[in-house]
Amino acid sequence: MRRLLLLFAILAVGCMEWDYGLEEDFNFEASERGLFICNEGNFQYGNATLSYYNPDTRTIENEVFYRANAMKLGDVAQSMTIYDNRGWIVVNNSHVIFAIDLDTFREVGRITGLTSPRYIHFISDEKAYVTQIWDNRIFIVNPKRYEITGYIDVPRMTMEQGSTEQMVQKGKYLYVNCWSYQNRILKIDTETDTIVAELEVGIQPTSLAMDCNGKLWTVTDGGYDGSPYGYERPALYRIDPETMTIEAMFEFKRGDAPSEVQLNGLGDTIYWINDDIWAMDVTATNVPVRPFLDSRGTIYYGLTVDPVNEDVYIADAIDYTQPGKVYRYTKQGELVDEFYVGIIPGAFCWK
Amino acid sequence: MKRVIAIIALLFAVVTTTAQERHYDIDAIDILGQRSIKEIGIQHTKLDSLVLKENISLSMADVLAFNSSIFVKSYGRATLSTVAFRGTSPSHTQVTWNGMRINSPMLGMTDFSMIPSYFVDDASLLHGTSSVNEAGGGLGGVVKLSTEAADNRGFGLQYIQGIGSFRTFDEFLRLTYGNDHWQTSTRVSISTSANDFRYTNRDKKINIYDEDMNIVDQYYPMERNKSGSYRDIHLLQEVYYNTGYGDRIGLNAWYINSNRELPMLTTDYAEDAEYDNRQREQTLRAVVSWDHLRSQWKLSANGGYIHTSMAYDYLRDPGNGTMTPMTRSRSKINTLYGRAEGEYYIGSKWLFTASLSAHQHFVESRDKNIILQEGNKAIVGYDQARVELSGAVSAKWRPTDRFGLSLVLREELFGTELSPIIPALFIDGVVSKRGNVIAKASISRNYRYPTLNDLYFLPGGNPDLRSESGWTYDVGASFAVGRKGQYSLSGSATWFDSYISDWILWLPTTKGFFSPRNIKDVHAYGIELKADGSLQFAREWELGLAATLSWTPSLNTGEPLTEADRSMGKQLPYVPEYTATINGRLMWRGWTFQYKWCYYSERYTMSSNDYTLTGKLPVYFMSNISLEKSLSFSWADLMLKGAINNLFDEEYMSVLSRPMPGINFEIFIGITPKW
Repeated sequence: MRRLLLLFAILAVGCMEWDYGLEEDFNFEASERGLFICNEGNFQYGNATLSYYNPDTRTIENEVFYRANAMKLGDVAQSMTIYDNRGWIVVNNSHVIFAIDLDTFREVGRITGLTSPRYIHFISDEKAYVTQIWDNRIFIVNPKRYEITGYIDVPRMTMEQGSTEQMVQKGKYLYVNCWSYQNRILKIDTETDTIVAELEVGIQPTSLAMDCNGKLWTVTDGGYDGSPYGYERPALYRIDPETMTIEAMFEFKRGDAPSEVQLNGLGDTIYWINDDIWAMDVTATNVPVRPFLDSRGTIYYGLTVDPVNEDVYIADAIDYTQPGKVYRYTKQGELVDEFYVGIIPGAFCWK
Repeated sequence: MKRVIAIIALLFAVVTTTAQERHYDIDAIDILGQRSIKEIGIQHTKLDSLVLKENISLSMADVLAFNSSIFVKSYGRATLSTVAFRGTSPSHTQVTWNGMRINSPMLGMTDFSMIPSYFVDDASLLHGTSSVNEAGGGLGGVVKLSTEAADNRGFGLQYIQGIGSFRTFDEFLRLTYGNDHWQTSTRVSISTSANDFRYTNRDKKINIYDEDMNIVDQYYPMERNKSGSYRDIHLLQEVYYNTGYGDRIGLNAWYINSNRELPMLTTDYAEDAEYDNRQREQTLRAVVSWDHLRSQWKLSANGGYIHTSMAYDYLRDPGNGTMTPMTRSRSKINTLYGRAEGEYYIGSKWLFTASLSAHQHFVESRDKNIILQEGNKAIVGYDQARVELSGAVSAKWRPTDRFGLSLVLREELFGTELSPIIPALFIDGVVSKRGNVIAKASISRNYRYPTLNDLYFLPGGNPDLRSESGWTYDVGASFAVGRKGQYSLSGSATWFDSYISDWILWLPTTKGFFSPRNIKDVHAYGIELKADGSLQFAREWELGLAATLSWTPSLNTGEPLTEADRSMGKQLPYVPEYTATINGRLMWRGWTFQYKWCYYSERYTMSSNDYTLTGKLPVYFMSNISLEKSLSFSWADLMLKGAINNLFDEEYMSVLSRPMPGINFEIFIGITPKW
């Protein structure tokens, strides 16, 4: 019997080894240049992370949100925007936007009550728009009070098919691409919070940017084979935002999946991913014959251009279940640096 | 790991040294029957009725977690639970119920949280190669579940009620009738629970703001499991007719009606009252069987039907008080099943078998309602049918009592694709009659074809996928000693080695959806140890002890996806390298005390085996105890039972961001009237 009691005592000591509550003190210079990388993590696993890269010292810090706050960033870190010396990280499937201090990475507040947020765009200190998927409304929030203050209903869109994505602003007008099972660019009057115009483009415009000439750029993915919404050749569009008309259209092969339209700091060169990495002058009349960078045999997931020196950063999600890798190239296409970040690096944000 | 080995060693020591102290004669073997020619070289785990009928609230996922070496991946209490053998994936586990395969033809896997253990009378696990005897595609193994005639005379009734923590209520009723020819049984179970257990959520913090919205304090909240309620109803009707002249006809029909909320992640900041995230399922599985037995041969034929309707709804109240769908997914599966099987003995040394089974699936998947560009509406989904045929022949030869050889050849057809021949060779031999030491070895090649979702799901289905294929072999030894009514001790050790090619993985695409690809090669190998002992060490005292331990490295051996890929040679995510279970039972005069324990080593959540702050799933141990008292009166048998789960109130997770309950309690009362 004593042996049994001894056995029982041994079994009782087992326990799971967690270490909670350890907050790390970061203190980066406010003036320092830096690049935040939102690592989406795996959908439904809550393992999104935030990485921070110093392009001058070429140092990378991973999991900085967790390390600074001793809590998880959440499920699918979709995007990050900087406004008023705060970083606003949109965590899609956690239904939250965290505001962090840019030097310490500590949370300073959060906006909740969102359906499935994708991007945040600031109109003023007290007003921002938040786009959504699975909701036919763009949410209006007060970032000072972390409150939802209103909605912009998008016509001909149900919650089930709801998808508003990236936002760019020119004057008082804001432009939004509608992506999933959609084909529209919206024009919103930010003074009245109303949609004043729409433009139909191709199937599923994935991203949006505005060049130095004030022209809008979007790229569609063309849908997929078997989609009842349609399957067509994807295309890159240049749009006049004043008249909401298509000025130029550059078509790709059916089955291609172009994405991630980005501009350099001057706004005179447009970059995008279509298997390889492509670059084109915003006044060009034809897509270049050769890519800016050849594919490394992977599906690139993220792209950004340094607004100061035009270095190009490309994210490789590898197998989507291990820390992805970011490659940094000069604008001449020479590899400068490479570093591992978190799972599925998808969005970048320059400090 | 050392602690686990020490515990197992101690268990063996407890059983064996106690036996020695009592001077039992190891040579006095009288509990062992003749080895069945059908089981030459088979590596299997049989779950006895004590384990299956432990209590009415248990699912087969719970039973397997504490009584076998296979890995149970649970997404929460009464939430999706899958099982995997020997470092493979859940879709590499084939599951049969009364001979009919019940894996979802859409997903390939089986949710074991949906199978109440009280509805299973016979459960066995066929590991690795041994699965080829039962079905193809079991690269990991086969879980074979079946029901049996109650073998009662007259009317019988059993009613059990359970009440547990988190407003959990379980009801079980069984009515039986039997005579020399007929046996009928009706089983009903109803389980409901708010399932709102409390836990400290260490993945998020609550902010306290001042008037200017500055954070002045933060803390980890004590939260309830949100959106976790469930209501499961099961009805099982069985009718058997035995002619008494070697023919038996059976009907088994199992109806499931399940309505489960899907629990929110620990990292979710939504208000659960604003959302409804729910899965509803209605399934009917029915099998008609005919067995014709003669002294030298046997014929059997089965026909069956499965209908499953699944509805997944994710709704949100946009603020107007009306829950509005964000996702509304529907699927219907209809499967027709037929099987014919024959066995023919030539003397006692040869057995020949042949079987042919057919599953015809009709699947409708409706995943999303959309408005088209033209303004009219459409549904995203697919509508497909597929026939799956599996035929096998085998020859089993036992020339002497000490030696056996078995060869199985299986061929499968799915749709229009014919698999290569699936061969399996088994050999066993008695190494020593003293201690019944038997050595076994087997080798097989196997294939698993893609599921219908793999091929056709919109968006992302990939019709160009190849079947996964694998080579596996195992060698092992077992022993069994005992004396009837005094003690028994058995054990086995098995080494296995598997190579799986073209492993199918779903990966995101640049178009925003996932798509499957044949991407990995996997080398899984390791050791499975089992021990089982019982001892009647004093008058009316009986001690039973069963333990398993497995070591299962499961390594990615494919080509790197890119030059940055660091997953080569690494353990697959969510596959623990070590698992162990112990199940002890002490019985005295109608009292039964039970202690269950299981252990999982750390699971990596990344293919590169990085062990990060946000991606860790540390080792955990789980302990459950129960105390039961059986009372027998002239008018009825009564049963009273109390159980404590997660005895040490351990904070643990089986999957990232999925909360699990701490210590919780259940009581059961049962009555079996005597007519």
